Amino acid sequence: MGDVLTAVGVLVGLGAILALILVMAERKLVHSGPVRLTINDADPVEVPGGEPLLSVLRERKIFVPSACGGRGSCGLCKVTVRSGGGPVLPTEIPHLSPEEIEERVRLACQVKVRGDTAIEIPAHLLEVEEYEVRVEAIEELTYDIRRLRLAFGPGVAFRFRAGQYVQIETPIYDGLGEPVYRAYSISSPPQGTGAIELIIRKVPRGICTTYVHELLLVGDRLTLNGPYGEFYLRDTPAEAVFIGGGSGLAPFESMLADMAERGIRKKVTLFFGAVARRDLYDLERFAAHEKAVPGFRFVPALSDPAPDDGWDGETGLITEVVGRSYGDMAGMEAYLCGSPGMIDACVRVLTAKGVAEDSIFYDKF
Amino acid sequence: MKQPPLLARAQARMAPGALTRDGFLGADPRDLVEILQADDGAVRRLGLTHEAIGGAMARLTDAALERLGATARVGGFAVSAVEAMGQLPCPFGHAGLYPKAEVRARRTRDGAERAWTALHVHLVRDHGFYQGRGSPYRIEPADLAGFLGLGPAAD
Repeated sequence: MGDVLTAVGVLVGLGAILALILVMAERKLVHSGPVRLTINDADPVEVPGGEPLLSVLRERKIFVPSACGGRGSCGLCKVTVRSGGGPVLPTEIPHLSPEEIEERVRLACQVKVRGDTAIEIPAHLLEVEEYEVRVEAIEELTYDIRRLRLAFGPGVAFRFRAGQYVQIETPIYDGLGEPVYRAYSISSPPQGTGAIELIIRKVPRGICTTYVHELLLVGDRLTLNGPYGEFYLRDTPAEAVFIGGGSGLAPFESMLADMAERGIRKKVTLFFGAVARRDLYDLERFAAHEKAVPGFRFVPALSDPAPDDGWDGETGLITEVVGRSYGDMAGMEAYLCGSPGMIDACVRVLTAKGVAEDSIFYDKF
Repeated sequence: MKQPPLLARAQARMAPGALTRDGFLGADPRDLVEILQADDGAVRRLGLTHEAIGGAMARLTDAALERLGATARVGGFAVSAVEAMGQLPCPFGHAGLYPKAEVRARRTRDGAERAWTALHVHLVRDHGFYQGRGSPYRIEPADLAGFLGLGPAAD
C-alpha cells in the first residue's frame, strides 16, 4: 500500500514539475507582455503581445481592410512583415502567391504579435478612419438591390476618391457571435462629404447583405471605416471601358458624377451586364451622365431577357457584347467591378483584344 | 468513433457566423465524423463515389458560372448561378478559395429543382461532406444522386 502511495506521489510530483516547466516555457517563448511594433520604419510603439496583428492595428486605429472579421477567409488584410510574426500558417497559404510568401507578405489576422515585429503597410491605410453614420435613406433599386444613403455626424467631412470603397460593420444579430465587416464601393461623388451612398445587392444567405436588406431601417446607426482601394480613374488620355454587373455599377456612378462635376474629358463607355430587365437600375442617371459627361456612352446589355421584357438593346453575356463592340483595344484602359467570375472572364476577353494587363483595374473583394 | 482533432477544428469552422451566416451543420447534433461516416455509407450503398457525385455537380456548376448569371442548358438541366463578390475557404482547411456562388439547377423533364453552392461541390467531391441535417444546403446523398441521374438511385 505504501509503495502504491509513493508511486502516486512521485507521478503527481512529476506532473506538477512538467506543468511548471510548460508554463515557464510558454512565458519565455510565447511573449504575452508588451512588445514593440514598428510600422513603415516609424518609431516603434509598444503594443500588447500575443494578439493578432489585425486586432493590434485596429486598436491603434489603423484599419487594414478585412471583409471577414479576421477569420482568415477573405485574404484582404495583407501586410508585409519585415521581422517577427513567425512562420506562414496553413490558413494563410491559400491566399498567398509564392512571390508574396517570398516577399514576406502575411495575413494580418493570422499573424500573432508574440515578439518585436516590424511591418510595412501602404501609406494610404494610415489615413483610414472609423466613423459612425446614420442611415438617412433606403431606396429599392431592384428586387435584390438597395441604395443606402449614410450621413456622417455634424462637422465630419469624409474625403475619398471616386471609385474607392468603405467597410461596413455588421452588428451581431440572429445569435451570430461577433460583428463582421464587408466592403462596398461608394456610388456617390466625392464632392458631397457629409454623406455617401452605397449600392448593395442581397447575397443568398449573406451575413451583411441579409442584415442590410431585412433588418436595417432609416434612422439606424452603423459603423464604417474607409476609404480604401486603388480603383480610381487614371488621369490619362486613353479611351476607357467600364464594365459592371449587379451592384458593380456603384463605383462607376461615383466616377461619372465626379467627371461631370470636374469637367473631366475622357472617352468612356460603360457596359452594364444584367440578366433581364428586372435587374437594370439607374438608367435615368446614366442617361443624364451621357448628357453631362462629354465622350461618355452607356450600353446596358441583357444576357437572358424575359419574353415580356420588350428589350431591343444589346443582348448576350457582357463579355460577348464588349468583344463585338471593339476591334483592337490596344492602348485602352479597362475598369471592372463585379464578381470574381465576371472579372476573370472580362480580363480574358480584354487581354485577348490587346488591352495591357497593367491597364486593367479592379478591386477583387 | 472518436472525432480526430482535425475534424474538431473543421467542425468549429462550420458553426454559424464562422465562415458563412448559416454555417454548414444546421441543427444536426452529431459530430462531424459521424455525419461523414453516415453519408459515406449511404453513398457506398448506392454503388457510387463522392467523386462521381461531386463531378456531376461540378459540370453543372462550371456551366452555370460561365454564364455569369444567365441560364445554361446542360444535359437535361437548366442551371444558373448567383455569384457575389468575395471568395470562401474550405472549412476543412483544404488549400484554395471557392466562389461565393449559389447554383440553382432545374431538371427540365420534370421541373425538379435543387440548389447548392460552389463550395458545396468541393465539400462533396473532396471531403464526402453533404452538410448537416437542417443546413440550408443539405441534400441527402441518395436524393442528390437521384436528381443528377447517377447510379441505381437515378429515377
